[in-house]
Amino acid sequence: MSASGYLPQLMRISSQRDETSDVRTLRLEQLRPAPLIWRAGQFGLFSVFGLGESAFTIANPPTRGDHIECTFREVGKVTTGLRRLSVGQVIGFRGPYGNSFPVEDWRGKDLIFVGGGMGMAALHAPLRYVLDNRNEYSEVVILNGARGVADLVYTEEMVEWASIRGVKVVRTVDPGGETPGWDGEVGLIPQVFEKLGPQPDDRVVIVCGPPVMLHFMLQSLDRLGFHPEQIVTTLENRMKCGLGHCGRCNVGPFYVCRDGPVITVAELQLLPPEV
Amino acid sequence: MTGAGWRLSAAEVKEWMEWLLAGGRRVVAPAGDGGLVLFRQVSSAGEVRLEGSAHARWSPKEFLFPRTETLMSYTFDDSNSIRLAPPRPAEMEQVLFGVQPCDAAGLMRLDDVFLGDGDGDQLYADRRRRTAVVSLACAVARPECFCTAVGGAPDGTDGSDAQLLPAPDGYLLRALTPKGRELLGGLDSGWQVTTDKDWAQARAQAERVATEIGRSPLPGDLPGRLIGAFGLPIWSTLAERCLGCGICAYVCPSCSCFDITDQANAYCGTRCRSWDTCTLAGFTRHASGHNPRPDQPSRFRQRVLHKFAYFPLESEGRLMCVGCGRCVALCPVGMDIRSAVDNTATEVST
Repeated sequence: MSASGYLPQLMRISSQRDETSDVRTLRLEQLRPAPLIWRAGQFGLFSVFGLGESAFTIANPPTRGDHIECTFREVGKVTTGLRRLSVGQVIGFRGPYGNSFPVEDWRGKDLIFVGGGMGMAALHAPLRYVLDNRNEYSEVVILNGARGVADLVYTEEMVEWASIRGVKVVRTVDPGGETPGWDGEVGLIPQVFEKLGPQPDDRVVIVCGPPVMLHFMLQSLDRLGFHPEQIVTTLENRMKCGLGHCGRCNVGPFYVCRDGPVITVAELQLLPPEV
Repeated sequence: MTGAGWRLSAAEVKEWMEWLLAGGRRVVAPAGDGGLVLFRQVSSAGEVRLEGSAHARWSPKEFLFPRTETLMSYTFDDSNSIRLAPPRPAEMEQVLFGVQPCDAAGLMRLDDVFLGDGDGDQLYADRRRRTAVVSLACAVARPECFCTAVGGAPDGTDGSDAQLLPAPDGYLLRALTPKGRELLGGLDSGWQVTTDKDWAQARAQAERVATEIGRSPLPGDLPGRLIGAFGLPIWSTLAERCLGCGICAYVCPSCSCFDITDQANAYCGTRCRSWDTCTLAGFTRHASGHNPRPDQPSRFRQRVLHKFAYFPLESEGRLMCVGCGRCVALCPVGMDIRSAVDNTATEVST
């Protein structure tokens, strides 16, 4: 860390896309172009000057590295401020921080990405990395769910991904969340997952979503015979510094910002239940 | 050079402090009128209270890790342009003078946090490089003291560049590092050299104080035992009284958690970090409302486990507690981290 460890670089919002009524994806470009290298799964601290910083995953893979993207939900002070900004305005970014998805180790394997609600944002970078290197991986399944049809994110990309050979996209909404004309599944993600009935052999499951979804997904994975080592998730504890100093994201001997956010379920089971 | 040093009268210690002040350094020492002794920047040796081991109300932590400090400032030029300015680096040399040995050890815990990885925290590192520590061995024990339980001693030298030790008719002085030696500025040529007997007396005094404290070192298997107690109901009992006021962290020489906040108007702003603590409810609460530590027992447990289990596991067994006892003495509801640790460890071993 240099003298300017807490100094963000300035980024201009070059475009934005509303995923849902309260979820937005920003495309950001550096005001002063400088090399920016990251790995899929790393995160950054994004500043709205005057309001503060929030930690978001870098939503695009390094294979699309001329800009960065982030997807956020308007829920607190910073994200509400961020949502008020328009194209052309400037925010701060520092990072990348944390570890990353072991995408190299997944080569040749079947992959299942399971994203619930905003959890899909954490999967966006590794998923697109895999699709950008399609030949190195075997079958890819994307299971994406949300409370209702209007809460589903990345809807246009899902259509595009579904058309790629060897990629299967399954979308589901919670019972009651369907609309007339909804052609996806209706049911909670763990139930839909179990219905798909994937075999554990030579497969990796990457699962991100709210704590309650993760809880039941892990039960389903266990029932289907998956080992904790082959299940990967991310932790979303509150963070401030991103450098392992401020103490906020400490869980047991683990600092989410330094040792995470990517973690296998086998590693997660060794931590105290404080995530 | 171990054991060798000088014998100074109280007047000579004052002369030394005046010499340090004259050299353009900031001298921070226990000072105050009446009962409240605090570390503060002094402008004359007469303000300093060294007699009887002052036991300042707060540790000198804030002179390396301020309660609030600016991480950067910024100016809004127009709606689409922002200028950032880094904070001004620390420039002044400072001496923390008359620091209790436990507080000096506490500064080393801050070093572990802020300098432990890579280049570390530049703001802290700049200040640390310009800081020398002269500790003052303890001649009396307070009821809350427990340094001997956590690897310290009344004459412990961890974190000290030089150390004064109370002696009959004055003090003994030893330089412990090259930085400490530099602080003497050649004045030592006029000081009386100590004898073995002086040091034997000083050691005997420290042992007397240690006996008064009466706490033997915590067991080496403590981290494992405390982690084993994570799910036990004892935490609810221990934290029943906790108000979540955070004073324990505020007065702690080793607590180092912080928050980062912005303050701005339409034209300019600053981003600051300020002390924060795991015993406050908002520390881990997500924007969604989800809180991984939703109640006071889980927050108090984090305080105990971080200090006595998690931190030692990644720091070669060093505890994140130096036994100063301020959290015990100043807790408004009389919570005692010593008995919390003892009781919890016992719970697991029985």
